[in-house]
Amino acid sequence: MSAGEAVIDVRGLTKSYGKFKALQGLDLHVERGQVHGFLGPNGAGKSTTIRVLLGLLKGDGGSAQVLGHDPWKHVVDLHRRLAYVPGDVSLWPGMTGGEAIDLLGSLRGGLDERRRADLIERFELDPSKRGRQYSKGNRQKVAIVAALSSNVELLILDEPTSGLDPLMENVFQEVIGEAKANGATVLLSSHILSEVESLADRLSIIREGAVVQTGTLADLQQGSRSTIHATLSAPVPQSALEGLSDIHVDGDRLRATVDSAEVGAAMTRLAPLGITALTVEPPSLESLFLRLYETDSTDRAAS
Amino acid sequence: MAGATAIAGTPPLLRAEVKQDGRLLVPWALLTTLLSASSMIYPLVFPSDQDKAAFAAAVGANPAMAIIFGPAYDLSTADGFNAWRALSLGGLLAALGVIFAVTRATRAQEDSGQAELLASGVMGRASRLAAAVWMCLVFSIVLGLVTGLVTVAFGGGWNASMLIAATMSATAWMFTGVAAVTAQLGSDARTANSLAVGTLGVLFIARGVAYALEAPDWAIWINPLAWMTETKPAVDDNWWPLLLAAALTLVLLAVAFVLQARREFGAGAIAPRPGPARGSARSTWRLALRINRGPLLTWTIAFIGLGFVFGYLATSVNDILGGDAALQQALASGAADSAGLVSAFLVTILSLVGILASIPGVQTMLKVRTEELEDRVEPLIATATARARYFASNVVIALAAPAVYVLIAGLLIAALTASADIGVEFGDAFLQAVATVPAVWTVIAIAVAVIGARPQVVLASWIGVLASFGLTILGPTFNLWDWVLAISPFWHVPGVTDPDADWWGLVWISLVTVLFLAIGFAGFRRRDLART
Ligand SMILES: Nc1ncnc2c1ncn2[C@@H]1O[C@H](COP(=O)(O)OP(=O)(O)O)[C@@H](O)[C@H]1O
Ligand SMILES: [Mg+2]
Repeated sequence: MSAGEAVIDVRGLTKSYGKFKALQGLDLHVERGQVHGFLGPNGAGKSTTIRVLLGLLKGDGGSAQVLGHDPWKHVVDLHRRLAYVPGDVSLWPGMTGGEAIDLLGSLRGGLDERRRADLIERFELDPSKRGRQYSKGNRQKVAIVAALSSNVELLILDEPTSGLDPLMENVFQEVIGEAKANGATVLLSSHILSEVESLADRLSIIREGAVVQTGTLADLQQGSRSTIHATLSAPVPQSALEGLSDIHVDGDRLRATVDSAEVGAAMTRLAPLGITALTVEPPSLESLFLRLYETDSTDRAAS
Repeated sequence: MAGATAIAGTPPLLRAEVKQDGRLLVPWALLTTLLSASSMIYPLVFPSDQDKAAFAAAVGANPAMAIIFGPAYDLSTADGFNAWRALSLGGLLAALGVIFAVTRATRAQEDSGQAELLASGVMGRASRLAAAVWMCLVFSIVLGLVTGLVTVAFGGGWNASMLIAATMSATAWMFTGVAAVTAQLGSDARTANSLAVGTLGVLFIARGVAYALEAPDWAIWINPLAWMTETKPAVDDNWWPLLLAAALTLVLLAVAFVLQARREFGAGAIAPRPGPARGSARSTWRLALRINRGPLLTWTIAFIGLGFVFGYLATSVNDILGGDAALQQALASGAADSAGLVSAFLVTILSLVGILASIPGVQTMLKVRTEELEDRVEPLIATATARARYFASNVVIALAAPAVYVLIAGLLIAALTASADIGVEFGDAFLQAVATVPAVWTVIAIAVAVIGARPQVVLASWIGVLASFGLTILGPTFNLWDWVLAISPFWHVPGVTDPDADWWGLVWISLVTVLFLAIGFAGFRRRDLART
């Protein structure tokens, strides 16, 4: 680990629901000023970890420190310094979104009126609707506005963009960028890699209750493969296919995967053929996983 | 044709419904069966005619009892006793069972989005309501059959037992209809339930009062619950009022289906309006008040009503007692004295008020659990709000509101009795109400302990209410021992006019209250939130 101050420091955390082991020795380090992506498939244990960090659940073993304190013991002091957006936002049915924002803000110790107004406008939220009238995306917006309207050191966001449309997701990215520029630390969980890759300085990948890899996006993508879909104006010659694998050619259409570091070289080879349409899919979480599984098994074979 | 498509897909839905919610209906049938069959021990508890007469005088003639049980036409036989004890209460239980089931199967599922998932399948618009109604209509009949047959097996007369059980079925039918209508009117499950239970409560009290005061005939014939009493099982055995109940059921169901066809999915006839963009509830305390605002208002009105009704009843207590031949006999023979009866009446009626007031207290605590399960507590605790503070805000309302209800009703009862010259001072009657409050708190504290420490057994929150009702109101009809009756906190409420009243009982039950509260707070601070 580098010398930065750890805002979140989790070591060997375990938590069981009855017999089911949801967390099995989880380690997580987030440094001040970072946006940290917390990635894992559904059911991996992201929400469980976050609830332990918030002192909502009590960990069974290991240790968890948030802003230098034990979250189970120093709940109230800690919570003054952080804000949380839950994964499943449920609002009070008869209370308006505006009322919910004010309630949550006040309980955290006050909110910044200018930010509140600004966020409501940017997220195009109607604060006078009742909780039961909001769609999932709009409930999510209420929670996001409530969390970001206070000036806090740490933002803990549990799949905050699920249910937001792409336009609103852009607004969200901007807003998190601003928070980061103001010095906030962000823990951002998601099961979709592309959601966090543009924001996150570092990523931790969690699977079955343990972090299997942590590092920068580039670290993680090393050796992972992107997918290319291209439509060319000429038939595809063999020479252009160098460095590609999983190749499917259908007339002038090509689909193949390429080492993420080699995307540029592959483009140089395809460009002379006249590209009429092109998409490059960055490595998906699944392909990262596949690679992790592979390294797992090669490591084991090596030892 | 259009009708057939509207209810397409009902049978599979009905099957799913029975599987999912059927077992939640079972306890209600068990309760009615227990209530009715247990009446058959009457001859054992009160073997001689003299015992029965004394019982009839002391309990059967207490107008506070009449409000719950209705008129006692004949307490000389087990069947007559059963008709008095089980008919109205059994109907009440059966009606509550179907009200909750209809709401659960219609409104609650719409609220949760579960219905939407199904509505997009091959299903008519009305099939959800149709499935719920079918389930409850059939369940009502099963409830009646089981209750009646078990009672007969324990020695009840065939005609009387089956008629008593049939009135329970009929009551459940009518309230299936009522709940089907309120499910269309309310804009969420809670409102729908409140409307239906409120209707049941008003009709129930109205029936009790009508019979206690020997009100004119029209007051009886406009009240569907009174039709049930008019069957007079074990005395006249009239079956025909059941036809009225069936007719009313059909009318209510027709109304429900018309309303259902007119409203939009997820909406009620009472539509929500946009609200304020800024909030004034900025503390957990204000939030708790806000969330409970509707029930607080409704219950306050209900207890003002109860205060007037019971107070009025108290003013006529002498007339009622005077009109009771069996009682006059007991009074003449010295087995009872008039002042003692009036005082016993007052104690009972305020205990009844207390038990009723503990219901909203328990509901407030149950609401805490609902909020938790619906993920609305988590974001609050994730702010700078200590768990204890959040819990305390709700506990304060759960304890304070019922105390206020008892005092409101007590004030009215005291004012009315004092004005009526029946030998009761205003101060004494009001003090009696005040003395009842600690017992109410003990009952609610049980719910606080359950919700705080062991919310998995959420139904246990009702133990206090059930035990108090069973022991304080039903206990005397079983002639139970004092040490059993003493389990009910209301047993420890002294009669304030009694010269050797023992006030220590209130101290003991208050210690129990404190203990339960401590358990609740300690549990809520330590346990995982929203984990089942
Ligand atoms: N209350 C609970 N009881 C039992 N199992 C649970 C409970 N909550 C979560 N789990 C299980 O724990 C695992 C991790 O859940 P969660 O932390 O919510 O995952 P994520 O947020 O990564 O999707 C899942 O397999 C889930 O089914
Ligand atoms: Mg989750």
